[in-house]
Amino acid sequence: MLEVSGLTTAYGEISALREANLSVGSGEVVGLIGPNGAGKSTLLNTVAGLLVPRVGRVEFKGRDVTGRPPEELLKAGLALVPERRRIFVDLSVEENLRIGGVTVPAAERGDLLDEMAELFPVLRDKWTTSAGYLSGGEAQQLAIGRALMSRPQLLMMDEPSLGLAPILVDTVFELIEALRAQGRTLLIVEQNASRMLEVADRAYVLRSGQMVAEGTGTELQSDERLFDLFVGNRPSG
Amino acid sequence: MVELLQNLIDGLGRGSIYALLALGVAVVFGVMHLLNFAHGELITVSGYAAFWALEAGWSWTLTVPLVIVVAVLTSLVIERVAFSRVRGADQFTLLLTSFGVHFVVFAMFLLYVSASVKTFPRPGWVTDTYALGSLRVEVFDTVVIVVTLATLSGTTFVLQRTTFGLSLRAAAADFDTARLMGVRSDSVIRGAFALSGLLAGIASVFWLMRAGSTVPSAGIDPMLKGVLAALIGGLGSLRGAVIGGFALGMAEVLLRSRLPDSVASLTEGVVFLLIALLFIFRPQGLVSVDHAERV
Amino acid sequence: MFPDLRRDVLLPVVAGLALFVLFVGAGFLYQGLLGGYERLVTLALIDAILVLGIQIYVGNTGVLSFGHIGFGAVAGYAFALMAISPVEKAKRIANAPFGLADVHLDPWTSMAVAVAVVLVVAVVVGIGLARSGAESGAVSATVITLALLFVTHEVARNRPDLTGGDRAGLSFRIGGTLDSRIPLYVALLGAILTALLYARSRGGRLAIAAREDDLAARAMGVNPLVQQMVALLLSVAVVAVGAGLRVYERGSILPRDFFFNLTLVTLVMLIVGGRRSVSGALLGVGVITAGRELARRMGQDGFEFFGIGLDGAPLDWIFRENLKTVFLGVAMLGFMIWRPSGLLDDWDLDRWLHARLGGWRSRRQDRQGDGRPGLPPDVEPDDTDVLLVDGVSVAFGGFRALDNVSLEVGRTEVVGVIGPNGAGKTTLLNVVTGLVASDAGRVALGDTELTDAPSHQIARRGLVRTFQNLRLFGALTVRENIEVSALVASSTRRHCLPVDVDGLLVAAGLWEVRDRRARELDYGTSRRLELARAAAMAPSFLLLDEPTSGMSDAESLTMVDQVRRMAGLVGAGVMVIDHDLNFITGICDRVTCLDRGQVIASGTPAEVQADPEVQAAYLGTSAAN
Repeated sequence: MLEVSGLTTAYGEISALREANLSVGSGEVVGLIGPNGAGKSTLLNTVAGLLVPRVGRVEFKGRDVTGRPPEELLKAGLALVPERRRIFVDLSVEENLRIGGVTVPAAERGDLLDEMAELFPVLRDKWTTSAGYLSGGEAQQLAIGRALMSRPQLLMMDEPSLGLAPILVDTVFELIEALRAQGRTLLIVEQNASRMLEVADRAYVLRSGQMVAEGTGTELQSDERLFDLFVGNRPSG
Repeated sequence: MVELLQNLIDGLGRGSIYALLALGVAVVFGVMHLLNFAHGELITVSGYAAFWALEAGWSWTLTVPLVIVVAVLTSLVIERVAFSRVRGADQFTLLLTSFGVHFVVFAMFLLYVSASVKTFPRPGWVTDTYALGSLRVEVFDTVVIVVTLATLSGTTFVLQRTTFGLSLRAAAADFDTARLMGVRSDSVIRGAFALSGLLAGIASVFWLMRAGSTVPSAGIDPMLKGVLAALIGGLGSLRGAVIGGFALGMAEVLLRSRLPDSVASLTEGVVFLLIALLFIFRPQGLVSVDHAERV
Repeated sequence: MFPDLRRDVLLPVVAGLALFVLFVGAGFLYQGLLGGYERLVTLALIDAILVLGIQIYVGNTGVLSFGHIGFGAVAGYAFALMAISPVEKAKRIANAPFGLADVHLDPWTSMAVAVAVVLVVAVVVGIGLARSGAESGAVSATVITLALLFVTHEVARNRPDLTGGDRAGLSFRIGGTLDSRIPLYVALLGAILTALLYARSRGGRLAIAAREDDLAARAMGVNPLVQQMVALLLSVAVVAVGAGLRVYERGSILPRDFFFNLTLVTLVMLIVGGRRSVSGALLGVGVITAGRELARRMGQDGFEFFGIGLDGAPLDWIFRENLKTVFLGVAMLGFMIWRPSGLLDDWDLDRWLHARLGGWRSRRQDRQGDGRPGLPPDVEPDDTDVLLVDGVSVAFGGFRALDNVSLEVGRTEVVGVIGPNGAGKTTLLNVVTGLVASDAGRVALGDTELTDAPSHQIARRGLVRTFQNLRLFGALTVRENIEVSALVASSTRRHCLPVDVDGLLVAAGLWEVRDRRARELDYGTSRRLELARAAAMAPSFLLLDEPTSGMSDAESLTMVDQVRRMAGLVGAGVMVIDHDLNFITGICDRVTCLDRGQVIASGTPAEVQADPEVQAAYLGTSAAN
């Protein structure tokens, strides 16, 4: 469904992402792990249209969407749950969800909202509360629900467990499992590598803007070199 | 006591118009972080439109919608021609751009029309009064207050219950994330300017009815009132702008009736001074324009 | 005061004289070629003084002031009140308060009094601006300065006993109004030199640094508020002189002379030329004066051509005013949209001269074999104060960013702080350097308590930091960036050895690019500059925030070398945050690992890396664990 090839994105002088290649097949859960500053967010943001790459190509459902703006990608079925959630704190839970569905015809939005209420009972209880009062975990759920409102075919998430207490991290990953069970396609950037590898079908390891490893979840989990890969240790000797 | 109530009604009457102006300023500020010093030009332009229409024999019934339409169109034109090109620029550039627009419009009227004051007839009922208990209430004030409340309700409805209003509020809260949700930046900014124009148009109707005339510099006073009121209420807040407008109207009326004449004529400068003092002693109370930075 | 006499005094004076000659020469040319424009040129000379005054403040601090003409109003009236003879005054303001009706001073003393009065007002306004947190780009400054403009205008209109009021104003003949241009020339030359010399002086450089990046300036020990006040006082003094001359030349003063129209004119002149440049200010005055005159002419002759319906028989002066105003408005709008930094941006004649002559000089040096200075020797720290972080805790809302974190760094050590994203590393650095207030715990350098001190003071005490998102003073050259720190250090860290800027440039490998602007550098060089700039403060401790972020592995290794060299050069201890464990291992004596705001491991790099808790923190704990 998603093909990324040779993607290079730079911030001025800094090459945050160099020649990245990645693919996500329909129904797959793909993880993108690596240390901080590796360029994982940059990759998602480039795919989502927030950044324009210098070189490279992004293909979504067979169509070249490199450099297209976010509005277009959303219409095409690609949604992003941004890093640190970025929910609209002045709006209520319902309004946050509504805004997520702004590209969907108004008639269908009602049904979608009902779906979200089902999927996120915690949010249903706080439907009219201002989003600023939500806890970290609830905010994360709201951010995911908001993205789901656009009926994406590929849902991307940027560090969903960031800043959450361990119990809430569990909730997030349970949610990811539930989405996977629904048959959704997911591309997830995560700091928490071991949790991610448990749920992922496949994963990529990114370090200093470059892909350094690729494999199935199980393969990478049992790879002893993982820590070294992360922190860039040269093999000793 | 009677005097106080009288002042109250006068203050509400003035304050209504200021509230509409302030809200127009605040709406634009919300989406663009631009303090629109050219807001008053909407009054100037629609004022001339009213003058020409009335001169040509139109009735006020027809002129009122004309004024509003002209205000909205002018607002959109200004956005297209000037402000769309400086989106995302720093405050320095934004402020000077809006000043530039103000001067260009002002000077064009001065040049291509005339510097002299154009008077036009006011509707007959403007000076009528009626008795309310022991008070003499102006029909005009009543109409202004009622219409303003209706407008504010309507605006609240649009903002709270329509998709457009939701997009506007989301964009004002976090423009980039709104884009991520599929909100189109062009649409939302133009919508904001249209709404701002509409509010200014309604305010303009009353401003013109009260003034009975227009002149190239007509826009300066309403602009100042709108900007000052929006500042009092805290730049980021729409509700605050409305409150600020009413507060300003009340303060003006009270000052004028309480202070001796020589000082009362300083009212505008006094308001500016008070706002400056507010900024000095409570800088956190008024919204900070600088965005939170990531160190 | 002036880091380099040749560059900062000699060349500006030469350039100032040249600019003066050019400007006045252009005026004569205009007069000569077109005939009979004496008054226009005279007014342009005065406008130039006003604009230069405004440039001193707006250009160097980046704060947009709408109120400088308000200061002008105060000066103008003060001048008029002092200088007009009692006989004249009796006609208009016989009842002036404070016995002003009887005062009569010669014009030059009156000017001095006007300047003094304005300075007092400026101190008050300046304090207000400082309190409101006015920094480059803030709305509060606009509001406060607009308030000044309005208040002076209203007072002038509404106190006829003092000012002659709105219609008549004050007018006079003071032993003949200004009939010679000599005082104008003197004042203009003075204004040009003041503007140039200030910008090149210590104060000006610090103000410009704060304009470029307020946070970084504070981290280098600059107190932006002080510098802005200095700039304000100098600038209003110059504006006061200009205003006084304007009144003198005209022989009268009315409230509307110093209100919106003059504000617009002077601001347009400033931004058209380029507000950051003295040459630009003068160019702007020239361009706008000529343009306005052209517009006026067109307004006079070209009007019939357009055939637009008129109303009645308006007076000529109305049309002049109008087309001129359209021109000004269009100029302001046009430049803001297409060229906000003005025609010259921040190019200035003296810097250009320096670049030309400097190039010649260094080519000569290379040929002769005496080129770059030698590498300076390392410095042994002469005191052994320890940087102590003790039990620091910080919570943002409900979120615990730091929880009872303690660590120590010695003057001869390099200590690393590692941990996954969100662990609190940058928060720790922000607390130590005064950007964030702690809820508990303390930070101390030897005996000095630094807890909750403002960041510029902490820098002065010897803790200097770099930033994760590179923060250089973009418009300044490499050398000037380093000089900012050196200038602050030379007055606040006298007990340390004086910093050798040249030596630092060489040690950092920046000698070849020393005259390039910081914003033109590539990433690796920029990082080295940031480090060198921090070192130039002669700090006791360097605190580095992800110095290798964005670098490749190879570049990170060179950074190890750089950090060691800089620290050795100034005898500083180092605390460094980073993710790159190669870098950390290569440079640190000890490492502390944070996770979720707490210290989870501490020891040598090898020990910490092997710690299973550290590994778990980086990889995330699995649900199975």
